Amino acid sequence: MDYFVEHFRLNFIEGERWRYLTNGLLVTLELTFFAALLGIFLGFLVAMIRATHDKTGKLKFLDLICRIYITIIRGTPTVVQLLIIYFVLFGSVNISKVVVAIIAFGINSGAYVTEIVRSGIMSIDNGQFEAGRSLGFNYVQTMRYIIMPQAFKNVLPALGNEFIVLLKETSISGYIALEDLTKGGDIIRSRTYDAFFPLLAIALIYLVLVMIFSKLVNRLERRLRNSEH
Amino acid sequence: MSIKNGDVLFRVENLCKHYKNGPKALDGITEEFRKGEVVVIVGPSGSGKSTFLRSLNLLEVPTSGKVYFEGVDITDPKVNINQHRQKMGMVFQHFNLFPHMTILKNLTIGPEKLQGKSHDEAVENAMRLLKKVGLEERANAYPSQLSGGQKQRIAIVRSLAMNPDVMLFDEPTSALDPEMVGEVLELMKELARDGMTMVVVTHEMGFAKEVASRVLFIEDGVVKEENTPKEFFGAPKSERLKTFLSKVL
Repeated sequence: MDYFVEHFRLNFIEGERWRYLTNGLLVTLELTFFAALLGIFLGFLVAMIRATHDKTGKLKFLDLICRIYITIIRGTPTVVQLLIIYFVLFGSVNISKVVVAIIAFGINSGAYVTEIVRSGIMSIDNGQFEAGRSLGFNYVQTMRYIIMPQAFKNVLPALGNEFIVLLKETSISGYIALEDLTKGGDIIRSRTYDAFFPLLAIALIYLVLVMIFSKLVNRLERRLRNSEH
Repeated sequence: MSIKNGDVLFRVENLCKHYKNGPKALDGITEEFRKGEVVVIVGPSGSGKSTFLRSLNLLEVPTSGKVYFEGVDITDPKVNINQHRQKMGMVFQHFNLFPHMTILKNLTIGPEKLQGKSHDEAVENAMRLLKKVGLEERANAYPSQLSGGQKQRIAIVRSLAMNPDVMLFDEPTSALDPEMVGEVLELMKELARDGMTMVVVTHEMGFAKEVASRVLFIEDGVVKEENTPKEFFGAPKSERLKTFLSKVL
């Protein structure tokens, strides 16, 4: 027991080391939130282009660009993408690391969101599309009022899962020396030479975050389902 | 421009639809449908009758030929087809109600978003239509809570809510349980009595006999025979129609 108290004090209390964790947590949350926003925006945009191409055969060139984007992002490790964006793309630009990370993770997440949303759009019966068009809605209106609300509901579990993945993926931010939650824990480890407490602490924080988020998604899902029956 | 009874509503010229490496779904159909007519289209499955009906509002884009609706060539790519579709109601075999909206919303979304009607006005009109089909107490239900027959009646009034000049029916009773066919046909007969222009693809020969002003027999993508229901069913001319009728009657 004394051992536990002593090590807890050493790792978290002494020199206000707990601040590495709280500050890191804030960075992780900030990163995840804005990267998720960017990912959703990119994902829906690219999914619309891809689905429009699949349905109508238009937008050939844009569709090609979108497919290249998805192939590259899904075909390379996220760490490598983060490093390339930080050291190559923004190598000579003075820009905040947080912004770089948001861009990198947003672009990465967007590729996965795209395929999720696209599968959602494709899962809606073509009769829904025809019913919308036959009433006189144009393509965009049909998407907006009829297809997307149904598609969104269908893919909500998969989207929730993608954001959990994103939250955990941001733990590689340390590669560009950004002090997120994981990096914060790791800094404590390097100061105290004690691996157990700081690493277990950050694992626990991630776990709690994911559990809270899962609960929220479940609740939203249930609410959406209730509105139909 | 207001349209009077007897005016030409649809004029179809040499309509063709060819699939790549496939059969010809439509092989040169020329027809005229007039305001107030109830045209029933029959024919064996795969004959092209549904393709023909769906070409009228361009859900199916013809390979060649022209479709004039109220005097406008709607096959012209420069024409805003969405505007013209508002004037043509369409009823599908599988209803295609919007499952994420209440019945009321299914009826009001078109008039509100497309015709700029106020919410109150759209709701009032929707409730009047729901009353007409005896489903006003289901206004706040969702489509999944309705029977097939109820769904199809809602689908019909959803189209009517747009106040169309013509109603297109694509096998409206084919997906229904037998005991629900009657209620849908009854509503369609009522529409016909009210003077609605209708083009109906169906296998319900009884409906054709009773309500149609003209019956078309389509096979292999062409209109093989057309006549008043009395002549069509009483004295079919072609051998092919005689065989067809002997099978379905």
